[in-house]
Amino acid sequence: MYALTVAVNLGEFWPFSIYPMFSQAGNPWSRSMVREVSPEDSISWEVTPLADAPGQPYGVRSGGVDPIDLANFVSKTEVWDQDRVAALSMMLLADPPKEPLRLMVYRVRARLTEEDSVAITATPYVLVGTDLDPDIRHLNPELRP
Amino acid sequence: MTNAVTKRPLFGNLWENLFGFDRPDSRGQRIFRRVFEAFIGAACIWLAWYWGEYTLRIGDIVLELGLARYIDISFMHGNQLPIWNAWLISGLIVLGFLRIDRWVPFGRWVYMVAFILLLFQYASRFVLGEIPHSSNLAGMGLLGFALAEIIYRNRTDGGRFAIGFSYFFIGLGYTSAAVSKLVARGLTWPDGRHLWMWINEKAVDEIARSGSVELNAIQQFALDYWWVATAFLAFGLITEAFAWLVWFRRTRYLAMWAVMGLHIGIWITMDILFALSVYEILLLGLPWAAFIDRLWPEKGLAAA
Repeated sequence: MYALTVAVNLGEFWPFSIYPMFSQAGNPWSRSMVREVSPEDSISWEVTPLADAPGQPYGVRSGGVDPIDLANFVSKTEVWDQDRVAALSMMLLADPPKEPLRLMVYRVRARLTEEDSVAITATPYVLVGTDLDPDIRHLNPELRP
Repeated sequence: MTNAVTKRPLFGNLWENLFGFDRPDSRGQRIFRRVFEAFIGAACIWLAWYWGEYTLRIGDIVLELGLARYIDISFMHGNQLPIWNAWLISGLIVLGFLRIDRWVPFGRWVYMVAFILLLFQYASRFVLGEIPHSSNLAGMGLLGFALAEIIYRNRTDGGRFAIGFSYFFIGLGYTSAAVSKLVARGLTWPDGRHLWMWINEKAVDEIARSGSVELNAIQQFALDYWWVATAFLAFGLITEAFAWLVWFRRTRYLAMWAVMGLHIGIWITMDILFALSVYEILLLGLPWAAFIDRLWPEKGLAAA
């Protein structure tokens, strides 16, 4: 039963999932983070080192969001259309800790360098806010459909 | 006079080691079976509500997994169905624990119906790209009790089946994790640089979660010394590779505590705590039934 269920469901049919966690050792990874920005801030879509990302620290926990969901939402979305931007906005702002609130969502990528260090960069993906309509105009220009 | 010493095999019959249907029953075993059943039921009720309430905020499906690959699960989004489902699952599990079959026909199927409804709850919650594995042991536990209720008329046998079922899938699950790692990366999987990547990955998750992160001393130690990071990973891989030893009574508790050590290591180095799994390992990793029998022996057996 285990083999059959795993085989026909690509290993992800709860609770029969295989345990591939951490099997992809050493591969580059992709996660997400969010920074709070103010309406007066100029928006930059440039890739930056993680520590240099503009804006103020913001924890998605304050809005009741699981950061793993956010990371997967950002990394596994292939087409950033209006619906997808609206869904991300709903996820982050359904229960905002304060209003007004503007958030820049970053995709964070890391890789092992030849010098045996971990290089981490942050790419701004989309701006959402309680005072902004979810719109593809607020997407990184390289992601717009 | 002969000294007849019976040497027990280290690995005997797997079926007998897992289920022990022919072994004498005791008060400790009866209490432990009900405690374990209550734990599994409570864990699944908690999951039903945790997933249900989170599903209310999901507005779009990023990736269908499991049941959602065959059924359009979007009917669970944008309404209160996840909450109604959580109520239903909770009610069924409570009725199953109270042995509703004594009063209604098909009462022995309530755990199985709850399990199926939980599949819907899970599939509607995890449509955002990744499935965690922290709830697998609890889900497997509920399936074990659901099958036991349907298959066994005798509840002693049923309870033993459910517990043995959990031991079997704990052994299979962790061992398959080791196989996955070796297939994907080979013997270089424990390379300490891989742990460096994961420590940084979880640090970014923490930044996302709370806005900032501070590495603990063990994480910093592993980042400073490659061999320390390598030792952590090597211990984890070896533990998983031998997790099948939980199938056998003589090696069970040692293997279970090694798995517990693995979880503690994951918690310290990567800040990931599989809380439900750890609680279940605490229940299944100690001879609680024997403790109870020692402290509270049944009359007539005390002098035996």
